[in-house]
Amino acid sequence: MAGKKIVMRASPQAIEEKRRTRGSAILVTGGTGLIGSHLVAKLCRTGYRVIAIARPNKQMTGQERINRLLDWFGLDSPARSRIEILEGHLDDPDLGLDSTRYRQLAEDIDEIVHCASDTSFSERKRAQVEKANVANLENVLELASRSTCCFFHHISTAYAAGKNGGRPCKEDLVETGAFTNVYEETKHRAEWIATKRCASEGIRLNIYRPSIVHGDSKTGRTIRFNALYYPIRTILFFKNLYEKDIVTNSGRNAEKMGVYIDRDGIIHLPIRVKVAAFGGINLIPVDYFVEAFMAIMEDCLEGGIFHIVNTRTRPIEEIIDYVRRLFRVAGIRVVPCEDRANLPRNGLEVLFDHYIRVYEPYIRDTRIFENSRAEAILKKRNIACPEFDYDAFSKCMQYAVDVDWGTRL
Amino acid sequence: MIPEEVGKTAAQCRHYAMCKIDFLGTGLCPSGRVKHYVSYYPQGRMDICDGLARGLIPVTEGLVDIVGTCTLCGICDKQCHFVTGLRPLKVMRSLKEFIAAYIAAGQEVKIVDSDPVLESLREIVGHEWASNDPAILLTYSNDPFPLADMQMPRYVVLPRTGDQIVRLVHLANGRGIPYVVRGNGGSVFGFVFTDGIVIDVNRMKSIDIDRDNWVAVVEPGVTSFELQQEVAKLGFRVNAAEPAATVCGNIVCTGMFSTWSNAYGVGADNFVNMEFVDRQGGLFHLNEKTAPNIFAFTNEGSPSPGICTKAYVRMHPAIDDEEGLLVPFSSFSGAVSFARDLSRRRIGSAIGVLGGHYLSTFISPSAELAERVRSCLTEALGIEYAVFIVADRYARETIKGMAGTIIDNRLFRMLMLGLPHLNEDGWLDLIRDLENEEQPYEILLREEMYPVIETVLSPSPETLAQAVDHDLKDFYSSLYARPEMTDLLWLNAFRIVSSRMARHKHVFVFVAYVPLARLDIIEHIAAELKAIADRYAISNDFGFLTPLDLGKRAILEYDYYIDHTDRSEGVKIGKALGEVEPMFDRLSATTKGVRWLKYVFGQGSSRKESFLYT
Ligand SMILES: NC(=O)c1ccc[n+]([C@@H]2O[C@H](COP(=O)([O-])OP(=O)(O)OC[C@H]3O[C@@H](n4cnc5c(N)ncnc54)[C@H](OP(=O)(O)O)[C@@H]3O)[C@@H](O)[C@H]2O)c1
Ligand code: SF4
Repeated sequence: MAGKKIVMRASPQAIEEKRRTRGSAILVTGGTGLIGSHLVAKLCRTGYRVIAIARPNKQMTGQERINRLLDWFGLDSPARSRIEILEGHLDDPDLGLDSTRYRQLAEDIDEIVHCASDTSFSERKRAQVEKANVANLENVLELASRSTCCFFHHISTAYAAGKNGGRPCKEDLVETGAFTNVYEETKHRAEWIATKRCASEGIRLNIYRPSIVHGDSKTGRTIRFNALYYPIRTILFFKNLYEKDIVTNSGRNAEKMGVYIDRDGIIHLPIRVKVAAFGGINLIPVDYFVEAFMAIMEDCLEGGIFHIVNTRTRPIEEIIDYVRRLFRVAGIRVVPCEDRANLPRNGLEVLFDHYIRVYEPYIRDTRIFENSRAEAILKKRNIACPEFDYDAFSKCMQYAVDVDWGTRL
Repeated sequence: MIPEEVGKTAAQCRHYAMCKIDFLGTGLCPSGRVKHYVSYYPQGRMDICDGLARGLIPVTEGLVDIVGTCTLCGICDKQCHFVTGLRPLKVMRSLKEFIAAYIAAGQEVKIVDSDPVLESLREIVGHEWASNDPAILLTYSNDPFPLADMQMPRYVVLPRTGDQIVRLVHLANGRGIPYVVRGNGGSVFGFVFTDGIVIDVNRMKSIDIDRDNWVAVVEPGVTSFELQQEVAKLGFRVNAAEPAATVCGNIVCTGMFSTWSNAYGVGADNFVNMEFVDRQGGLFHLNEKTAPNIFAFTNEGSPSPGICTKAYVRMHPAIDDEEGLLVPFSSFSGAVSFARDLSRRRIGSAIGVLGGHYLSTFISPSAELAERVRSCLTEALGIEYAVFIVADRYARETIKGMAGTIIDNRLFRMLMLGLPHLNEDGWLDLIRDLENEEQPYEILLREEMYPVIETVLSPSPETLAQAVDHDLKDFYSSLYARPEMTDLLWLNAFRIVSSRMARHKHVFVFVAYVPLARLDIIEHIAAELKAIADRYAISNDFGFLTPLDLGKRAILEYDYYIDHTDRSEGVKIGKALGEVEPMFDRLSATTKGVRWLKYVFGQGSSRKESFLYT
């Protein structure tokens, strides 16, 4: 292959023209997830024809799952009429489709937006994460190469750069790296695999690298309550638990734990959060990601890598302060890791220690993500990342509480 | 008429004979205690009700007496609910109503004539203790074993002494009448039926303790529960089987095995001598030079050497600081390897690997709660198996060091008494969703978490009692206020909760001895048994595994669950057995250490060396 000139399957003009006339069909994977579902809704609201491939879960078929999400988005029927839902999966090269359906799909699609991914960080889930993020991607790329697809949109993560040795993370492929976890590592491998395969097949490739995505900046709405949400949910669980103990059990258990309600009605939970001294969380709202994605997709027809990040990270202390204000919970304080006075840990802290062990690289993140390529496009269109301030935090958390962290969705 | 609903409940009796031992401290069914025939215990009354509902027996004088002796005290309701979730009191009430209406309507109460054989039997045991009344016979004619048909005996006789048994055997032989011995009226394998004489040894209940020789001499009517209770008072312990099973019956039939077998052994390890009445009516002791060699073993099953009239059971010291604990595991191989490691290092006395079904069923007082608990344990916490261990304080420290995460008795008590709140407000989901390298249980079960767990669960007897019917709440609250009910060591020594394994359905067990170093073989057997059951849509699950003899061998139990009142389930079991049997035969022929318990039946008193290492 060396030296052989690969001819791109479609020129930028052809792609643009097809998109302009809304002739393209876009296959979206991971449509039941946070990002995938938002992109499905946005693409068909914009007028694109979308094919979503989804697998069943214990309760529902893939169709039912996507339809429920479309209800959640309040999608009107003209937009809905542009969606076709395929019952399938990504575990095998045939994507769980019979040969006729596979062939039809291959003949139909112009672009693929690949959002499906296993976002677990645990090493003990390595096999599952590798399967989802690498092997399954290869199955989707196989379809891309055997189809009429001319543009592959790969949703990656800003953290595919790994630890990056303290250097600024560029909007380029990262050569080698040390990784915080199996998620970063597989997302890194996925970028290389997608790049090589698309290059050899003449398929254009955009790689989108968001940082940590949370609910809508205006409404707080989301369908996922992990990452940022998890510790807040835990704090509220304990708040409710000990308030109940104080009301119904004379606070016997609260007292043992050092939990109390002060004169202003603020509950004090003695939680010392052990984290490194510097760094912050890089948070972006899902609506910003969607806007940025659409802008980059429409603007960059050659292909490229884009960081969709927040240029201002939030220190955890600020978030703890938001928690205090919104939920009237105090007592949570940040202490340096090496502080020996931290020991021994109480049960509430044990849970936080476990959480921090996994998320510390993202909470005390000192990585700098260069985003000039993305910025150039977004600035043109006046798209800027909203601040993650108290107002945004309140909206997100209020929504989470309203839907009981997803159980009432 | 017996109402249909009542008839259905009656047919569900599992014949575990738990109503024949006072395992909850409620006292025994008052009439059973005095009359001894199984017919006078709740189990027999359930069969009688079922027999009436199905038109199998007429109303006889005996039946009227049996029904008349029920005081509707309700003891059986509590006992049976504890084990099976059934409520037999309504059956007892219906029986009384039925007989009252029957007599009021002036219908015939049949008087069954005596005959010369009956008279001879009565001469040996006393008038009261031999009968040919169909209401009595019926309760010795059937059990939930799906592959055996009902067989009505002609007589039931209850001897009091070994000498009477000798005379009964002579009489039966002289008249050419077959006989079988029933231990406790409990029967689940369809073995103990005859159209001749049933000898029920329920009146032979003496226990003599010989402290100096560490031996308890028991008569054949003594149950494991009763023996354990007696020796425990003196600071001893025995290797006990299912609580309602008779000690002698167990030794002779399959041999005694339990989680204690890790320390106390199996087969001939468990006794120092036995007394038998042989088939000719001769009395012999095993320790006599001229006694038949029942320590040997043949791999094709063999009839028992006669009727065991005494067993000299080995007693072992119980240590003050022993406690039970559980070590959770997410994988079978992890749990089995750990159990083996403990056994070969001689750490702990009783050891058993339990599956999720056993664990959740044993600790939950209702089937509905058991199901919820199981999904909490497995789906939210990642606990698929647990290794149960009894260990003294030194061994507990060691085990903690080896395992990392343990459920000690303090935590166990907390969890058990708080079970209905186990996933309060989605709390376990919170633990599960914690992205981590550790299994959720490894985080939850840390000692620092105990105060949090206590707050979440609000453990108390009253909390646990929320899981049962409203009218049983007070009873369960006071029951679980007793410390032994949440004491892993006590629960294991007396095994009163293991009979719950068949609460949802009758259990059909497969037990095999296996080579413990061959995890591949053990996994293969479990996988094969699962595949066969799945093929016939029989619900099935791993039961338990106990290491033996310093981890060289183990006992493996795998269970099939069936509705024994549904004939089609019996047919399925029959077909499944047709595949299980060759599988075990093949394996025992090719793999050292594999022995299917089926071939041990009747040879339970053999030396373990003769079936584990041949
Ligand atoms: N959310 C963030 O903060 C964030 C940040 C940076 C990058 N990203 C990237 O954005 C993409 C989407 O993430 P998300 O937040 O939307 O994740 P998500 O909500 O967890 O959704 C993941 C999606 O992938 C699908 N999926 C997972 N494993 C699969 C498998 N083995 N086979 C087929 N489908 C599988 C899921 O399908 P089921 O519903 O059927 O499981 C779901 O549709 C990922 O590539 C992720 O790396 C997300
Ligand atoms: S209710 Fe009748 S059958 Fe039940 S225990 Fe009391 S006397 Fe026995």
